[in-house]
Parts: sequence; structure tokens; C-alpha cells
Amino acid sequence: MEVLGIILAGVLINNFVFMQYLGICPFLGVSKNLDMATGMSGAVIFVMTLASAVTAVLEQYVLKPMELEYLRTIAYILVIASFVQLVEIFMKKTLPGLYQALGIYLPLITTNCAVLGAAMLNVTKSYGVALSTLNGFAGALGWSLAIIIFAGIRERWKLMDIPATLDGFPLALISTGLMSLAFLGFSGLFSNLVK
Amino acid sequence: MGDRLLVTPPPHVKSAKTVQGIMLDVVIALCPAAIAGIVLFGFRAALIILASVVSAVASEAIYQRAVKKQVTINDFSAVITGLLLALTLPPNVPVWIPVIGAAFAIVVVKQLFGGLGNNFLNPALAARAFLLAAWPLHMTQDWVNPMSYDAATSATPLAGFNATGQTALTFKEMLLGQRLGSIGETCILALLLGGIYLLARDVIDYRTPLGYLGTLAVGTWIFGKPGELFQGNPLSAIFLGGAFIGAFFMATDYVTSPVTPRGRLYMGIGCGLITLVIRLWGGYPEGVTYAILFMNLVTPLIDKYVVPRYYGSGHDKMARKGGGR
Amino acid sequence: MNEKRASLGYDFIKGFIKENPTFALAVGMCPTLAVTTSLVNGFWMGIAVIFVLTFSNVFVSLLRKVIPDEIRVPIFIILIATPVVIVELVMKAYMPAMYNILGIFVPLIVVNCIILHRAESFAHKNPILNSVMDALGSGMAFTLNLMVIGAIREFLGTGQLAIGSLVFPKAPLFEPAVVMLTPPGGFITLGVLMALLNIVVARAGKRKQTESPRG
Repeated sequence: MEVLGIILAGVLINNFVFMQYLGICPFLGVSKNLDMATGMSGAVIFVMTLASAVTAVLEQYVLKPMELEYLRTIAYILVIASFVQLVEIFMKKTLPGLYQALGIYLPLITTNCAVLGAAMLNVTKSYGVALSTLNGFAGALGWSLAIIIFAGIRERWKLMDIPATLDGFPLALISTGLMSLAFLGFSGLFSNLVK
Repeated sequence: MGDRLLVTPPPHVKSAKTVQGIMLDVVIALCPAAIAGIVLFGFRAALIILASVVSAVASEAIYQRAVKKQVTINDFSAVITGLLLALTLPPNVPVWIPVIGAAFAIVVVKQLFGGLGNNFLNPALAARAFLLAAWPLHMTQDWVNPMSYDAATSATPLAGFNATGQTALTFKEMLLGQRLGSIGETCILALLLGGIYLLARDVIDYRTPLGYLGTLAVGTWIFGKPGELFQGNPLSAIFLGGAFIGAFFMATDYVTSPVTPRGRLYMGIGCGLITLVIRLWGGYPEGVTYAILFMNLVTPLIDKYVVPRYYGSGHDKMARKGGGR
Repeated sequence: MNEKRASLGYDFIKGFIKENPTFALAVGMCPTLAVTTSLVNGFWMGIAVIFVLTFSNVFVSLLRKVIPDEIRVPIFIILIATPVVIVELVMKAYMPAMYNILGIFVPLIVVNCIILHRAESFAHKNPILNSVMDALGSGMAFTLNLMVIGAIREFLGTGQLAIGSLVFPKAPLFEPAVVMLTPPGGFITLGVLMALLNIVVARAGKRKQTESPRG
């Protein structure tokens, strides 16, 4: 049941974009069309799940036993940055198809604060390696749901007469606010399952 | 002016009707519920309705004048937004609540995006969600006892129904709306009258309300009674709370719901499912507002993927994905 | 000499208007939304960012001729992560309450796009004094933005403004809209502020055009 709770929390109840303010920059930047949004979502799900696993291993087996927790930030960001590099090289060599689809989004992910944010949240919730990985995956799914919904809405704007002075960031932010208003309905859902 | 409004991405308005005509039909259909609300909850209800409609129309006129656009208050869309918002409010809220809510609906939810046809959320419901998040106590406690007109702060019958699966109200009381609730949501008879009028005039598609209320009824029948399956009371589930007004008047909004018959059915089913989940397992007693808003958000995706498009070129990929043909 | 001083001043000033992190460049959105539930929270987040930004700009600028171009981003990240750890430790030790309020957004300064943006677009190419001015300008502008947004949300959301033990006015002026302290309120406030700014800029631009047409 804890598994179900973590997934529901990540996707709907504590959605990264709408409830936790994480990964806003790429959410606003890459949501102009659906193909790009789905591409970015794929990359984020992939990297965030594995980065959560890697940082949880680092926490459990290196930082904690050696009492180096104060170096967490620096250790995590280095691991994530090099992990993204590694994924990029590995993907280019072995999965050229996937690399073509996701490649351009990978470098952007290092500075997607949702990835480091997910890793940090795992620490504050004191999840082990397995639950951290799941939490990273659920958070990434929620982020993807948010950006895909938003891209669907923004694609329509191209056909509409949107006020020019407001187009871009102002309307994107106001829309995000209205969307998060709709997501408020999920708060308190399954409160016995969700931490 | 009617022509300009027809240029919205989904070609949803049938050629023989004007935007103004459809909007007028909706206003007429809402009248029974508004009158019932005033009869049941008295002078306060009338004041809230008036404040909300005036604020909506004034906001539309002032904003459009300020940005030097043509003022379109005579298309009745602002009247509908104001009326719908008022009907979803508790009767005893302070008058500034509908005034702020209607202005938010018109300016932030609709006009900033370019006006009617460009909003992606139902303005009245988005404003209701905003008010609920801003002043939660007013929005959940300012009730009025029907016919006796004195204030009540206890929970609505729906909260008890969600917890126990049963209600002390009789069928007649539920039909006539003699219970605590928002101004326009309680009198099922009046809402049914308006809904039938809209169906008869071919303004709304029967699939959305049918899918919505059907899903909610069946779901409540299965899960509605705590601890037991298939013992819930489906009729009370659709009569209590805001499901009736939502299913006929809000989930069917042209601008924010899917275009095609199948999409509209999915809209209804989705709303029913989310309402059920929030009612039975959520943090709020009622989920109608959030259910419809969430389905508004995924409407562009429903239109794009679930339903194949036959017109235009370059949509082959989507058609294949969506229709599986 | 004269020219140099003018350009130092410009490097400081440009952060407020032409390269305003929030309103012109739209970077660092997450903390701008997450910590602006009050004026004081915004202020301390801003101070932390000023410190990190100045530190990283100084070292990036110092090492700009040594850092190989291909691996500059990982090196920038190390140069940014170091002061972030310092900020974390200092805050945890001396203001634990504020550290808890700002939560994960203190360590997340390391991925705040403002800092990498200033390193990449300015400090990497400019001498140290200019880089310091650039950091101070951008950092102070960011702090000012956070304080303004924080003040608006705090006032509408609580009906008053609190700075330490000083509270203006003593009792809430109106029935506060708690939505302003929640995510929807944050997004909508920032969006409306940007919209108003865009309208003002567009109006000013139009006026300028009619008064003195330029190429």
C-alpha cells in the first residue's frame, strides 16, 4: 500500500509542478508543443528515476556511514551531472534511436531542479534505496503529466487570438496557477496512504 | 461579432445557431434553478445572484474597454458565468465573495487569454475553486436552512452521506431541494427542467450528463457503503451535492469540453470517476468542481488523441494513434 | 578610467532592468515561487543567492583563462556548489528556523539557473571587478523581486506584513485570502505582475516610438 501511496502522491497529490514548485523552468520552457513535451518527459522519467536510485545508494552507503552528510549538496549535484553525461554517452553508443528522440533534452536536465529536488526530498522523507527510486519515478510521472496536459492546452493557443503583450511567461504562469487550482482537489486524497 | 466568436479551434457550434442564441437558451435553462434557490433560501440568495451577475458583466465591459476591444456583454456569456458562479455558492456568503469571484472568472480565467473561446477552464468553476482556496470557511459554512431562512453552519447532508452511505432525507425533500447546499444545486426538479430544455433545444449532448451521473451512480452503488460492496445508494449520490448542476450545465460547456460524441462521453465518465474518488476518499466532501476542472485540463488531449480527426492534413500520425485504424 | 567606471556601474545596474533575473530573463522561477510566502523569507533567500552568486562569479572570472571550454559546466557547478554548502552550514547553525522554512530550496540554489546563467554569460568572459558588480546587481535585483512578490502574497494572504516582531498593521486589514500563500496564488501573482510589467513596457515603447522614432 505504501507503494500505491507514493505513486498517487507523486502524480496527483504532491505534484512536483503544481504543489512543490519543482522543475518550473523546463515546464514553462519546453511546453509549447506536445512532441517536445513528451520527449522531455521521457528523458526526465529516465534520469530522475535512476538519479534517485544512485543518490540514495550514495546516501546509504557512503555519506551516512562516513558522516559526510554536510557534503550532500555537492556530492549529489556532481553525481547527477556526471550521471547525465554518462547516460548521454551510453545512449549515443547503444540506443541511437532513443538518443535521437531524447538526446537534445538530456543536457538540460542537469539544471532541472526537479531531479536534485527529488533526491533531496527522498532524504527528508528518509526513504531507503527502493522507495527513493519509486518516489523519483512517481515524481517524474507527475511532472510529465503536468507538462503534457499543459502542452495540449498551449498547442491550441497557436490557433487562437492570444493577447500579444501577455503571451509567453505571463500567461504561462497564470495558466499554471489555474491548473494547480484544479489539482488542489486531490489534496487530502487517501490521507491514510499518503505521507 | 457572432462570427468572430465562432473561430475557436474545435468547430463546435452548429451553423444554424448563433452564439447569442445558444447562450440565451442556457440562461433560460438556468432560470428554474435560480428561482428555486431564491424560494428556498430567500433574499440572501437573490442578492448573491444579482451581485455575481452584475460583477461578471461589469468586469467584462470594464476589461474590454480598458484594452480597447469590442465590448461583448450582449452575447450573454458573462451573464451565464455570473449566474453559474452564484448558483454554486453557499447562500449566506458575504456579498463581496461573488463580486470578487465573478471578476476573477471573467478577467483572469477568460479575458486575459483573449476572451470567450480561449479559456481552457470553465470560468465559473475556476472562480469557485479560487474562492474555496481563498476563503475556505465562508465557502463551507455559510449555509441557510431552506424555507426557514436562518443561517446554519453544520456540514451539508453530502458529508454524512459520504461517511455512512445513507441519508435521512426523503426522496421528495431531495427532489425539491429542501436541504443545506449551494443556492442552485439543491432543487433537482428545477435542474432537471433546465437540463431537459437544453437537450430538447439540442444545445447540449446527452452523453456528458448521462456518462457523468451514470458513472457516479454505479460507482456509489458499488463503493458507497463503507465496508460493504454493492450496497450504496445511487440515487442519493446524484441528488446530493453538485453533481446534477455540474453534469448538465458545467461539464457540457462548449469551450472547455470535447467536441465529438465519444469525447463527450469520456468527459462525463471522467468527471463521474473523479467526483466519486474525491467524495469517498478525498479531502473535500464534494469533488464536482475539481472533477470538471481536471477534465477541462485534459480536454485538448481528448480531442487530439482519443478522437481521430478527419479534416486537414498532417494529422495522420495522431489519427492513427487515436483511432487505431 | 572614466569609461571603465561607467561600465562597472552599468554592470551593476543592468541586473535590475535590462537583465532582471525574474522579469527579463525568467530564470530561477522555482525559488521565486516557493519561498515568497512572506517578505522576510524572500529577503533571506535573496541574501543566500547574493552570497553564492558573488562567490561563484569571482572564482569563475579568476579561473576563466584556465578552465578548458569543453568541461566548463561541470567546473562551474563545483564552483557554485561550494558556496552553497557554506550557506547551508551557516544558516543551519545560526538561523535554523529560517533554514527549515526555506527547506530544500537552500541546497537547490546550486541548480538555480541565475547562477549558472551569470557564470556562463558574464563571469566567464569578464574581469573580476565587473563580475563582482554583475553578481551584486543581479543578486540584489533578485532579492528585490523576491521581497516584492513576498510582500504582495503575505499582505493579501494574511492581511498584514511582518518584519521580525514588527507587524503592520496590528490586526489584519481585511479577510485574508489564504490562497495567496498556496501554489495557485504564487503562480497567479507572478503571472499577473509579469503581465502588468509587459503592458507598461509595451505602452512605454509605443510612446517612445511616437516621440522619437529610432531604428
